[in-house]
Amino acid sequence: MKNQDLNINKEYKYGFTTDIESIRAPKGLNEDTIKFISNIKKEPKWMLDWRLTAYNRLQSLKEPNWQKPKYPKINYQDLYYYSAPKSASEKPKSLEEIDPKILETYKKLGIPLVEQQRLNGIAVDAVFDSVSVATTFKDELTKKGIIFCSISEAIQKHPDLVKKYLGSVIPLSDHYFATLNSAVFTDGSFVYIPPNTRCPMELSTYFRINASETGQFERTLIIADKGSYVSYLEGCTAPMRDENQLHAANVELIALDDAEIKYSTVQNWYPGDKNGVGGIYNFVTKRGACRGKNSKISWTQVETGSAITWKYPSCILQGDNSVGEFYSIAITNNYQKADTGTKMIHLGKNTKSKIISKGISAGNADNTYRGLVDINKKATNSRNYTQCDSLLMGNKCGAHTVPYIKNKNSTSTIEHEATTTKINEEQLYYCNQRGLDQEEAVSLIVNGFCKEVLQQLPMEFAVEAQKLVAISLEGSVG
Amino acid sequence: MKQNYDFDIEKIKNLSQEEKISRKKNLDLFYKSGFPSKQVEDWKFTDLNLILNKNFDNISNEVNFESSKDFKAIENFEHNFIFLTNGKIISTNFDHEEKSKILIKDFNQEEVKNINPSNALALLNSALSSGGFSLEITKDYKLKKPLIVYNCFSQDLKNKILNNKNSIKLNEGSELTLIDYSDNNTQNNFIKNTVDTISLNKNAVLKNILIQNSKSNGHFYKYIKSSLESGSSYENYILSSGLKLNKIEIEINLNKDNSSCSIYSALNLLGDQHQEIKTRINHNSPNCKSYQKIKNVLNDKSKGIYQGKIFVEKVAQKTDAYQLSKALIVSDNAEFDAKPELEIYADDVKCSHGSTSGSIDSDAVHYLMTRGISKQEAVKLLINGFLNEVLEKITNNELKIFLEKILERQINGH
Repeated sequence: MKNQDLNINKEYKYGFTTDIESIRAPKGLNEDTIKFISNIKKEPKWMLDWRLTAYNRLQSLKEPNWQKPKYPKINYQDLYYYSAPKSASEKPKSLEEIDPKILETYKKLGIPLVEQQRLNGIAVDAVFDSVSVATTFKDELTKKGIIFCSISEAIQKHPDLVKKYLGSVIPLSDHYFATLNSAVFTDGSFVYIPPNTRCPMELSTYFRINASETGQFERTLIIADKGSYVSYLEGCTAPMRDENQLHAANVELIALDDAEIKYSTVQNWYPGDKNGVGGIYNFVTKRGACRGKNSKISWTQVETGSAITWKYPSCILQGDNSVGEFYSIAITNNYQKADTGTKMIHLGKNTKSKIISKGISAGNADNTYRGLVDINKKATNSRNYTQCDSLLMGNKCGAHTVPYIKNKNSTSTIEHEATTTKINEEQLYYCNQRGLDQEEAVSLIVNGFCKEVLQQLPMEFAVEAQKLVAISLEGSVG
Repeated sequence: MKQNYDFDIEKIKNLSQEEKISRKKNLDLFYKSGFPSKQVEDWKFTDLNLILNKNFDNISNEVNFESSKDFKAIENFEHNFIFLTNGKIISTNFDHEEKSKILIKDFNQEEVKNINPSNALALLNSALSSGGFSLEITKDYKLKKPLIVYNCFSQDLKNKILNNKNSIKLNEGSELTLIDYSDNNTQNNFIKNTVDTISLNKNAVLKNILIQNSKSNGHFYKYIKSSLESGSSYENYILSSGLKLNKIEIEINLNKDNSSCSIYSALNLLGDQHQEIKTRINHNSPNCKSYQKIKNVLNDKSKGIYQGKIFVEKVAQKTDAYQLSKALIVSDNAEFDAKPELEIYADDVKCSHGSTSGSIDSDAVHYLMTRGISKQEAVKLLINGFLNEVLEKITNNELKIFLEKILERQINGH
């Protein structure tokens, strides 16, 4: 990468706001807000009841506080729970009807909504603040019987599927933030892949928080029926603001017999400025269930943004011979904090899981890997391999590893290893000697350190992610 | 579920009024939380409250007991000894040493107040402790023979809790090998709650070996807090198989540069034995080293746990810290849990940990069987090889042979 490119990108380049009128629910969290959301989305009664049940359960739940990164108390009554671009209130029927300003925003973000979609062959569902704005490539997917739409649409058009699977992996009142999401979720994506179908293209969602004082609560539900395959990408950005914004999403994946889901995330929410002011609180619940035999769920995440990242994409390996994978890069710079990892719960026989986690900490940041591997008594002949490596840059940051390992039968094997080091001086010297300056050298070495994870990303994302890794570490050396 | 306690500070003799008040405070603090359950993060894998509820109807802190002056000393192994019954000194013998160099007395209970206010058992210990020794070795004195601390118990301990405090201080340049030897064949359920304070001055060397000599229904908890000055070295060997419940919590503070510590453990757990080793190594100074190797073999319905934390302060550059836990799970009803933790704030460090758990290599068993060894023998041989590795670093041949024998007995189920 050229040095000039880096300099241009030094600031958070997605920090702009878009000046469009939006409809908001009244501030505050109460039954009326929930009814407002449900009403504006023209939801059936069962959905509203579901939301209200979640809201009632929420009253008896406490916010968890065991995590490493602490944050000031969130005033849940001071947030807007619904914000939608005004023009979206009458649903556009085609891309031409979408507010050109929104399209322009997506163009700035580099999302291929109109033209590039054909070249890239990625079907995109874009979520702006709270509502899904456009879903591309619909026709081609419909031909194969694949459903890819916003969750609001799925609630209306495919209520049976939604009723059957929503909340089946993350129960209604799993924990505080998941329950909050169940009560007030505004939109998100829904994917259903019919039996024996291989989704012909990468499906993708792009999330953007635009309005201030808004929380974004999206809900994603992906179901891969018997023998199907889908690869799903997710990207996120937000404008630069001094206040902290809450993002509490729920993502549920369900893989039936012989199905495979690959879920990739490049998370680049606004991380706050150099002094740790502002930024997104990214408190997300992601969980996948390998329900069927021989099913597979693979999580890949590149976490570079957010003031606080707090999430554990997990796999529940219920089906015999099922496989769970977790590949993660978490980069924290300045005052960013990350507490992330995974849970692999082995329930079925011959289940396998693999965890590769790379944490990079620079500036005054704190980076924690926290994970659980639990092999149950009946999960005979199971296997887990975990590797978590941390890289420290500078002596003001911290890197922590907190794995929980449980093995309850004699035929299963668990292997775990972790290392913490700094960038090797000799490697740096060698790169310098070959004419690379300090920053280029660091970016090269860090990319090498992350290679195992970057390889897992689909081609289009891999390039972007590699750049992101370099940008996130700007100014952390020397 | 709440335990029936009958804790009475008045039972402890010779307390000043002031001390009674301070003990009462600690006891009240303990009552607030009670015995820790798995909701407490430090006790996540050992639900002490549940275990005690299952095994005890009533717990009281009786301190008066009958003790005999006789005990069976270990033969064919030259050593000094301190003989304790229920934690109290009965007799001592330092015939192999210059007696003026060794100070040994009853532990002055006022000496150490609260060691860790967030630890319920340490609070209980501060409230009820009676009995214990304090040992000090003078400057540059190196003991010629190991010191064995015989821990014996009276026969009337059913439903009782013992609370002891010990302190060990090694002055500059001194050396000691201390074997904590628990011998108890009573079938009574009782609890022993011990807090040890260890302080190593410049260049002092301490080897601390924990041995459980027989199967026992004892429920033991031991909290060792140690602080190390520059150049000092502290080694731990844990061979404590045989107890119904045992939790050893070791906190090591590497306070000055070039100090080092190591923890080795070899456990072969049978029946429904439950053992946890919890460590916290604080690297508070540059150029310090820590090394941990924890090995468990889990048979029957036993449960083994390792919770280890390496904490590296900002100033502790050039730290070298290593942690390894390995478990062989022999039975389908056994369980091994681990939480190897790293918390690191300095960048120029070498820290790593590894943890594995799995079954005995069936290829190795098969190989041995083709050589005419029965399956049972083959498994034993492999277990022996697995655990014995822990003793490799011991250079004193006599000591090594002694420990190998103990380990072999433990592998054969005592």
